[in-house]
Amino acid sequence: MATINATVSIGSDIMSYATNISKTMTMKKAGTTTGLNLTTGLSSKRYTATTQVVLQTYNDVAVTSGGANKVYIRNTGSDKAEFFKVTLADATDAVEEIGRLYGGDWMLMPWEAASADHNIYVQPSTAEVMTLEFMIFFE
Amino acid sequence: MATTTASVSISSSDLQVGNQLALNASTTCMKAGLTTGLEKIEMGKNTLTVADGSTSLKLATTAGVDGASKVYLCNNATDETFYIRLDLHDTIVGRLYAGDWLFIPWSQNDTTNELVIQAIGGSCPYEYAIFKEDETVVAGA
Repeated sequence: MATINATVSIGSDIMSYATNISKTMTMKKAGTTTGLNLTTGLSSKRYTATTQVVLQTYNDVAVTSGGANKVYIRNTGSDKAEFFKVTLADATDAVEEIGRLYGGDWMLMPWEAASADHNIYVQPSTAEVMTLEFMIFFE
Repeated sequence: MATTTASVSISSSDLQVGNQLALNASTTCMKAGLTTGLEKIEMGKNTLTVADGSTSLKLATTAGVDGASKVYLCNNATDETFYIRLDLHDTIVGRLYAGDWLFIPWSQNDTTNELVIQAIGGSCPYEYAIFKEDETVVAGA
């Protein structure tokens, strides 16, 4: 088994006092104390159109359905006006928009990966060159 | 303006042979399409029981539609078989097992786009924070 640690640190001065969150998780297989040991590796994709495209389908790699899979995605750009729309499932299906990654934004989410409803799609907001990086940790 | 910074560090020395994983990223959370920081925050902790069933963590509201909100959620359970299932409206996003956290954007592209959580296996203490642009408030009776 592998040991994969992920730490999030959030600092904010929205309140009149500082808000700080720091949490570390060790990625484990579903319901066990055994670490996740599979990954797609870190990938980078470049886009030049505003078409919605697949980032990862649930069955492209041997992801365990309903496992403790994790997906990391980051918009590598710096322009806060440009974003990637990240959705689950195809727009022709009952699409669910998770959110929009603006320049520099990142996300780390668990991934059910049990059916085509969980396919991950992205859609750039502009036809200017936009790049994202992503990595999937799975069992 | 307020400044909210979110950073992540993912590391492993044995995931890929001969390749040390050391991934780091950081972003300042801005309002949608702007260089103005998010100005609203909501935080909390609770314990979700199996009997609670599907529970709304947060409803989407008109004022939040197409915003750049960010959501942090952590399952603080210690039994490795207990997990929190996160749904976005009627679609399963994934499972947060004991000790797992997530950080996602939440654009509330329509007002049905609520965040729903459910404890599976046993009670799950959890904590969350939502950094948001705006929210439609409910008028007093």
